[in-house]
Amino acid sequence: MYLPDFDYYAPPDLVEACQLVREFGNSAKILAGGTDLLHKMKHTELAPEAVISLKKLSELKGIRYLPGQGVIIGALTTQNELADSPLLHRKYRSVCEAAHNMANNQIRHIGTVGGNIVNAVPSADLPPILMVLGAKVKLVNIDGERTVPLDEFFLGVHQTIRRDDEILTEIEIPDQKTTGSTSIRFGLRKSGALAVAGAAVAVEMDGETCRSARIVLAAAAPVPMRARAAERLITGQQITPDLLEQAGAAAARESNPRDSIRGSAEYRRDLIRILTRRALHKAITEGHV
Amino acid sequence: MNDGYNVIGKSVGRIDGKVKVTGQAKYTGDLRFPGMLVGKILTSPYAHARILSIDTSEAEKLPGVKAVITHKDVPSLKYGISPARWDENIFCIEKVLFVGDKIAAVAAVDEETVYKALKLIKVEYEVLPAVLDPLKAMDEDTPWLHAEYPHNINTEIHQDFGNVEKAFAESFHVRTDRFVGQRAYQSPIEPHSAISMWDGDKLTVYSSTQSPHYFQYYIARQFGLPMGNVRVLKTYIGGGFGGKLEPTGLEFAGAALAKITGRPVRMFYDRHEMFAHNRGRHRQYMELKTGVDKDGKILGVYANFLMDGGAYTSLGVASAYYAGALLTIPYDFANYRFDMYRVYTNLPACGAQRGHGHPQPRFAFESHMDNIAHDLRLDPIELRLRNARKPGTITPNEFKVNSCALEAAVEKARAISNWDEKRNNLPKGRGIGIGLGAFVSGAGYPIYRTNLPHAAAIIKVNEDGSSATLYTGAVDIGQGSDTVLCQMAAEAMGYTFEKMTIVSADTEAAPHDFGAYASRQTLMSGAAVKQAGEDVKKQLLELAAPSLGINVAELDCRDEVIYVKKSPEQQRTFAEVAREFFVKKGPLVGKGSYTPPKLGGKFKGAAVGTSPAYSFAAQVTEVAVDPETGEVNVLEAWDVHDCGKVINPALLHAQVHGAFFMGMGESVWEEVLFDENGKILNANLSDYRVPTALDMPQFHSELVDSYEPNAPWGVKEVGEGATTPTMGSIANAIYHASGVRIKSLPISPEKIWRALKEQREE
Ligand SMILES: Cc1cc2nc3c(=O)[nH]c(=O)nc-3n(C[C@H](O)[C@H](O)[C@H](O)COP(=O)(O)OP(=O)(O)OC[C@H]3O[C@@H](n4cnc5c(N)ncnc54)[C@H](O)[C@@H]3O)c2cc1C
Repeated sequence: MYLPDFDYYAPPDLVEACQLVREFGNSAKILAGGTDLLHKMKHTELAPEAVISLKKLSELKGIRYLPGQGVIIGALTTQNELADSPLLHRKYRSVCEAAHNMANNQIRHIGTVGGNIVNAVPSADLPPILMVLGAKVKLVNIDGERTVPLDEFFLGVHQTIRRDDEILTEIEIPDQKTTGSTSIRFGLRKSGALAVAGAAVAVEMDGETCRSARIVLAAAAPVPMRARAAERLITGQQITPDLLEQAGAAAARESNPRDSIRGSAEYRRDLIRILTRRALHKAITEGHV
Repeated sequence: MNDGYNVIGKSVGRIDGKVKVTGQAKYTGDLRFPGMLVGKILTSPYAHARILSIDTSEAEKLPGVKAVITHKDVPSLKYGISPARWDENIFCIEKVLFVGDKIAAVAAVDEETVYKALKLIKVEYEVLPAVLDPLKAMDEDTPWLHAEYPHNINTEIHQDFGNVEKAFAESFHVRTDRFVGQRAYQSPIEPHSAISMWDGDKLTVYSSTQSPHYFQYYIARQFGLPMGNVRVLKTYIGGGFGGKLEPTGLEFAGAALAKITGRPVRMFYDRHEMFAHNRGRHRQYMELKTGVDKDGKILGVYANFLMDGGAYTSLGVASAYYAGALLTIPYDFANYRFDMYRVYTNLPACGAQRGHGHPQPRFAFESHMDNIAHDLRLDPIELRLRNARKPGTITPNEFKVNSCALEAAVEKARAISNWDEKRNNLPKGRGIGIGLGAFVSGAGYPIYRTNLPHAAAIIKVNEDGSSATLYTGAVDIGQGSDTVLCQMAAEAMGYTFEKMTIVSADTEAAPHDFGAYASRQTLMSGAAVKQAGEDVKKQLLELAAPSLGINVAELDCRDEVIYVKKSPEQQRTFAEVAREFFVKKGPLVGKGSYTPPKLGGKFKGAAVGTSPAYSFAAQVTEVAVDPETGEVNVLEAWDVHDCGKVINPALLHAQVHGAFFMGMGESVWEEVLFDENGKILNANLSDYRVPTALDMPQFHSELVDSYEPNAPWGVKEVGEGATTPTMGSIANAIYHASGVRIKSLPISPEKIWRALKEQREE
């Protein structure tokens, strides 16, 4: 296993990075942590002409809060930085937990939140929790920028609305009315195992009544999947254990998992039922955890 | 002076600890020699195919490529680690037999060039139907892999002791269960590598190997060299677990490439190639039938097994015999029948993996025992105690068991795990299970027929007595044999551990030893080392006696002090006498060698499973099973071992911890998977899931008193035996926790989930 030949660029700022990305188009690949890109290149699944590293773009790192707007997470923020962020711990511990429970320490140390999103695989751990919190992503190219809901970002496995000349620069978690959020993943060992299935939820509770809910499933479809039927089932309703079980069953029904060496579609579907129910219960009773 | 031991029985620090933790230790793959080339092997993309042509011309033209070789450039002599079935060639000649079979090799100036060159070799194949299902391998219309082995039967065993049918007829209860074990892989942390270089007609091979001796033997045989012209040595090894016992092809290809190019050649496998080369655990189909009387005493056992050997024999003949042979050790019964077929399939060859052939049958038998206990409404521990082997007994297949503290081990495991309380009172979803284990402390016979001693040792004391060097062929693959053997040498000499150095596993610098397998070194290499140490001591005492004006018999030496036993204040130092020895008589050298006594019966296959001593273990595991998802959480485990006198308790407990870790992986997670064309689907550590540190439970490793009369200082093995009880104990705990009995390994969450679902729907 050996990396194929490629030209390497590490532009000093975002403008130059955007120029390079425009110039090379789809013959280049953007490098963040490289935990996915380099793996694919070694296994000859990708052979880009050029690799454009973002490592010098310090403006894409870090997590801050903009009052009146929300939490801004730089695309190059590593998963461990996400897991350890005091700011996120205070506001949405659920995001820290999701980052902490994914991959393994080595990967989290170098893997970035941007890479985890743009990579666009169904089992990715961060998109579901960010989506239920209504996150938006900012895409920048040499001509300007656009901000899109993460909900609309994914089109298929390794397919997104990102154009070849765009760099994902930041993720924004807007200020919330939600009262709780969490994600539960099912992996086949305690570390270093991709999720066989996962469910992230965010709820806005008013006493016993659920005002609104978002549910996003991992490894349940080609993209991180909104479980809309399940959401509808509980929205505006008094929450009871039975209703949560029904919501889980609805999520399982609308999901479309596939067979793989990590689990059969049938197993995954039932896991989705269980995880959705448990996640709802947890977010409703424990808050942002 | 105290009466106990001064060096053994203590947890001295590892002799290689500092260089390893500081990163100074150089493994084979780290070594660099002037002009060294890098080599790699091209392997087959098909599971079964005829080779029509191989065109290496484009690869040869690539700048930086120094040699490209195929079967035409190497001896065509067949080899294998089991002499009964030599069935491998260095490179395939007519057919490839699995995805990963060896076709050609390249040596070039660097890795990048090698990989490019491999892609330029053009091989034309005629793809043949592949045999991937071991259960169909022997069918009438299934193609044969090897013309010499009709119907793909690689090994066939039929052993019958006593009268099993009569025993079943007389039984109060007879039960049959069928189990399946999976293909597992050793996954040592260090990938295989070998560096070969020639000086005239002398070949030196640095290899990441468990046995320089077998490598030397087979390399010499392949290239028609006297063994003295082949030097095999190792530096440090990052684990083997059975996967580095036999030549891997890297040594042969590397030696041929080094000869042609006149330069050292470094060959290596990457993680994927390790899985493809394999030699890991066989997939076994195990049917067990057992008859018991009304008290649960076992009257007879019939084991009817089939194993998927993959494309070649590897160590599989022994694996096949071991699978049945060792079932007779932990429990005492008189009637036993064992049938086994080991079949060829177009999959990577299987071999010896920690516990060699035995862990899966042990899993099957321990699960079967729990089923019988359930049928008889007996506590599983009670049933085991009623059948546990006792010391000084002989098994139906004629293995003589001297020391055996199994009953004590079971009782202790029961006590420290709080079994009696937990077994009946654990909350729903929690369970506790027991499994017993046993293993040989070294095989009674070597792998090929020879009358060489099994182990030999030399100790040379430095001229001024300030240090001593142990030379041994024993191989430290990470288990700590260098440390343990130096402790033994120092103890026998009356010396101190801190002043010992060791030269091990170098066929030129150290005397012969068969190597690290069959859990043999502490007992066997240890016996040779003890003798060498005593030889040193005897020579010193003989020299010292006149100067102290006393008879030799009244002297002893401990902790570097030679003293008169009755009046210890009369003494001289070891160093002073050693120096005097050198001045007067030349080098002070002690020698030792070990050959086991003649062991075993006369029937076919009687040799496999013989050993001077057997270790025993009882292991209790507590688990939680999620009743909805089937997720298994191993919470705590208790292991009690009977492994004779312990030389280094810390190393011993580390072995037990490591063995539990591996056994746990095979119980719940690990399985090598293939697609419908015989390609491995999970040849990486992401999807071949060995447990992580986070998965390891709280673990208690304890001992029972035991002394083995057949061994130096009463030692026995721990390395492999410790793996044998784990799968059974976890399987039984899962059953206790979930109420479903999963009969195939690994006991994955999905299998539990499915079984629970079926149970609910019934
Ligand atoms: C052992 C192992 C375990 C893993 N476990 C998990 C797991 O449990 N859960 C999980 O979700 N993932 C897991 N992964 C997958 C993966 O590594 C992670 O998803 C990681 O977050 C990717 O981030 P990165 O920064 O390394 O991305 P890179 O590999 O650098 O990039 C990934 C892709 O995104 C593109 N890209 C990256 N950043 C940007 C940007 N700012 N703008 C535009 N395009 C960009 C790259 O061009 C590339 O196509 C695992 C990987 C490994 C090797």
